[in-house]
Amino acid sequence: MTIDMSVDIGGLRLRGPVLAASGTFGYGTEVPLLERRALGGMVSKGIFLRPRAGTPPPRIVETPSGMLNSIGLQGPGAEGLIRDYAPQWAQWDFPVLVNINGETADEYGELAARLDGVAGVAGFEINISCPNVEQGGLYFGNDPRAAAAVTDAVRKRTDLPVWVKLTPMVTDIGVIARACEAAGADALSAINTFVGMSIDLNTRQPRLSFRTGGLSGPAIRPLAVHLAHQAARAVSIPVVGIGGITSAEDALEFLIAGCAAVQVGTATFVNPSAIADVHDGIAAYLASHGFASLAELPRYLPRD
Amino acid sequence: MFLLDAPVVSRREVARGMFVLSLDAPQIAQTVRAGQFVDLGWSPGPLLRRPFSVYKTEGDRIEVILKAVGAGTAQLLAMTARDTVSCLGPLGHGFDLAAGPRSVALVSGGLGVAPMPLAAREARAAGMSVTWVHGARTVDELCSEAEGDEVIWATDDGSRGFAGTAVSAVPDADLVLACGPNRMLAAVAMRWPDAQVAVETYMGCGTGVCLGCAVPLARGGYDRACKEGPVYRAEDVEWSMLPAHLPYAISA
Repeated sequence: MTIDMSVDIGGLRLRGPVLAASGTFGYGTEVPLLERRALGGMVSKGIFLRPRAGTPPPRIVETPSGMLNSIGLQGPGAEGLIRDYAPQWAQWDFPVLVNINGETADEYGELAARLDGVAGVAGFEINISCPNVEQGGLYFGNDPRAAAAVTDAVRKRTDLPVWVKLTPMVTDIGVIARACEAAGADALSAINTFVGMSIDLNTRQPRLSFRTGGLSGPAIRPLAVHLAHQAARAVSIPVVGIGGITSAEDALEFLIAGCAAVQVGTATFVNPSAIADVHDGIAAYLASHGFASLAELPRYLPRD
Repeated sequence: MFLLDAPVVSRREVARGMFVLSLDAPQIAQTVRAGQFVDLGWSPGPLLRRPFSVYKTEGDRIEVILKAVGAGTAQLLAMTARDTVSCLGPLGHGFDLAAGPRSVALVSGGLGVAPMPLAAREARAAGMSVTWVHGARTVDELCSEAEGDEVIWATDDGSRGFAGTAVSAVPDADLVLACGPNRMLAAVAMRWPDAQVAVETYMGCGTGVCLGCAVPLARGGYDRACKEGPVYRAEDVEWSMLPAHLPYAISA
């Protein structure tokens, strides 16, 4: 039996519910071992309008069941992306969303306007949750007015699907989720990394040059399932679950908790075929439980 | 690039606390070049894979060299011939050993021996005479398997060979290749800006997507040890920005 795995995320039809998470898949031109048939879509490494060098090393450190990173959004800027990557994306059989960043709401809008209409760019994921930049990033994600202002600035400059990637570093994710929905977001990605810190006992200094980093990996999964669920309960637009997914079972937790799709990130570092394994495992679960499609999967999403 | 479940074949000690692990990884053994590495994962083990330069190959087997520097490497060293290790590789950009130079000096400090046996093999195949200068703190920590047309030993305490660093014991050569702690490589860069050096960095994915293994460049900006590296022209690296010593290393 062939399982219908397709999903509709805010106007974007995906052949499957498993996407590659931003910052863990580059621009899709690496990771040669992955069977791409399993990719529902890809979110590019986050970019700013202009090129950025990123932070000095060390940029990563492993922690129990997870890792801290402070890459600092190293990237080629809009023109580099348009020149080097978008033409390849235009040939691919799955959509690519660009993870966009800015230091001001206007800069997000300007970047969206520059990329709008570029062949290969299927939509945007607004990053208001990067913990590793001095200006912007997380600042926009923990204030509902700022989150809405950025969403609005992008919404006004494009008709492409607009997703907003939320930070877990908030008191009530539902408030931010509703603010983004009201400002015109088509979907939400929940969640980005938690801010963490690790100290080297020999140098008695932080292990990361940026001092802090974003925690990802299985360590954050139960926290992420809860926050994605809270976001899904707060809004009527789709929520894409992210956080420590390494297996189909992990992904199914997010889907059952109310997410329409999921993104796999850190797991790809460890297992280049992680996305295919998750995709195939979801299909096998649905088949063995008598569901003909992902849409038939019951969700645990009580409304208040 | 291949992803293989590689059975552990054997293990041997080549210096105090320094071991060579032999793995059955045919496709990698047949394609790896000197200075390239494999990213190893095992279960139960750490979350991230660990990068190791390929030390030697023989038939279908590859060898890596390591010390128990943390919980992960201790697990790897506890493996027996029935265990398998997930092996991703060959990865990275290795040494350029095109024919031309008549002599090469291989300079290794401690675990920096890791890429040198393959480098020696390729250099000989390219018609070079090979001098291998291998240094460590003390005689017990010298890798016993250094080889070449000439081998020069160096120890910080003078317990074998030259008393001092490997770098200060290097004779004249047309080409210098080096691997070891980053502070040793910085010294190499001062003396031979054209040397090819294999750097050590923390590494996330090994395949170029995470940007975790950033190497600061003299011309500004960063690139990736796992993709453009781990071998660099010595003067191209901004040594003052590269962490001097790491608990595990691409050379480890």
